[in-house]
Amino acid sequence: MEDLAKDLVEELNCETVFTIPIFGGIEVSESVVVTWIIMAVLVLVAIILTRNMRIDHISKRQAIAELIVTKLTGMVENMIGPKGRSYVPYLTTVLLYIGVSNIIGLFGFKSPTKDLNVTIALSIMSIVLVEAAGIYHLGVKKWLHKFVEPVAVVTPINILEVFTRPLSLCMRLFGNVLGAFVIMELIKKVVPLVLPAVFSMYFDLFDGLLQAYVFVFLTSLYISEEIEA
Amino acid sequence: MLRIDWNLLFTIINLLLLFVLMRIFLFKPVQKIIAARQEEADRRFKEADESKQEAEELKQQYEASLANAEEEKKQVLLEARKSADAEYKRIVSAAESAASKVKSDAAREAENQKAQILKKAEKEITDMVVDATIKVVAEKKGAAVDSALYDKFLDKAGDES
Repeated sequence: MEDLAKDLVEELNCETVFTIPIFGGIEVSESVVVTWIIMAVLVLVAIILTRNMRIDHISKRQAIAELIVTKLTGMVENMIGPKGRSYVPYLTTVLLYIGVSNIIGLFGFKSPTKDLNVTIALSIMSIVLVEAAGIYHLGVKKWLHKFVEPVAVVTPINILEVFTRPLSLCMRLFGNVLGAFVIMELIKKVVPLVLPAVFSMYFDLFDGLLQAYVFVFLTSLYISEEIEA
Repeated sequence: MLRIDWNLLFTIINLLLLFVLMRIFLFKPVQKIIAARQEEADRRFKEADESKQEAEELKQQYEASLANAEEEKKQVLLEARKSADAEYKRIVSAAESAASKVKSDAAREAENQKAQILKKAEKEITDMVVDATIKVVAEKKGAAVDSALYDKFLDKAGDES
C-alpha cells in the first residue's frame, strides 16, 4: 500500500528535466518539454497534411486536413457564434492542444495537463481573452458597465466571477486529468489484466477529449457572453 | 505536483507560439484553399448563369425572327395577291378596250363602206339618169320623152339591181 502511494506521488510529480542557469537556476519541468513535443508533432502533422494543396482533385492528405480544420472550427464556431469568429483559431488550437495533452499519456509521456502550471496558464489566457474581447467589442465604458448588470447589487459577484471563472476552468481540467490518472493507476494495481484497457478507453481517451471540449466550450461561452452588446 | 513557478510563463509562451504556428501552418493554408475553391465555384456558377442567359437571348431572337418570317410571309402573300389582282384587272381592261376598239373600228369601216357604196350607187344612178335622158331626148319629143325617159330609167335600174 505504501508502495502504491509512493508510485502515485512519483507519477504525479512533474520532474525538472533541466535547469536554465540564470536567475539562480530556472527549472524547466517535464510538462513544458512535453508541450514542446506536442507542438512539434502538431506543427509537423499540419505541414505534412497541408503540403501541395489544390483546388480540385485533392489528395487524401488534403481531404484529412480540410476535414479536421472545418470540423473543429465549425464546432468552435457553433459554440461561440458568428460574432466571435476571430477567436475561433485560438480556441481550436487550445482544443487540439488539450486534447493531445490528455491522451498523450497513452504514448508514455506525462500529460502536461497534469501539471497545475499548464492548466493555470490555460485558464489565465482564457480569462484574459474573455475580458480583452469584452473591451475590444464593447469599449471600456460598456465593458465596465457590464459589472453592474443586471442590478448594481450583483457587482461584487460579477467582479468575483473574473477570478472564479478561470479558477474553475483550471481546477476542472486539472482535477479531471488527475482523478482519471489516479483511478487508472488504482485499477492497474488491483486488476492488472484486461480491465485497465476497458477503463482506459473512458478515462484516458473519452474523458481527456471531453475535458478539452468542455474547456473550450466554457471559454467560448464566456467570450460570447462578454461580446453580447 | 503542486508547484507553481516559471513553467507557468513558459507554458503561456508555448501556447502563444503554438497558436501562431497553427495559424501559419494549418488554419491559414486550409482556409485559403477553401476560399479559393469557393471563388472557383462562384465563378463557375456565374459563367453558367451567363451562358444560360445568352442562350435565352438567342432563343428569344430566334423566336422573334421566326415570328417575323411568318409576318413577312403573310405580307408577301398579300402583296402577291394584290399585284396579281391588279395585273388581272389591267389585262381584262386592256382586252376590253382592245375589243371595243376593234368593234368601233369595224363599225367605222362598215360606215365608210356603206357611204362609199351609197356614193357609188348615187353616181351610177345619176349617170344612168343622164344616159337615159340623153337617149330619150335624142329619140323622142314632148310627152313621149317623159314616158320614154321613165321607162328607160326603170330598165336601167332593173338591170342594175
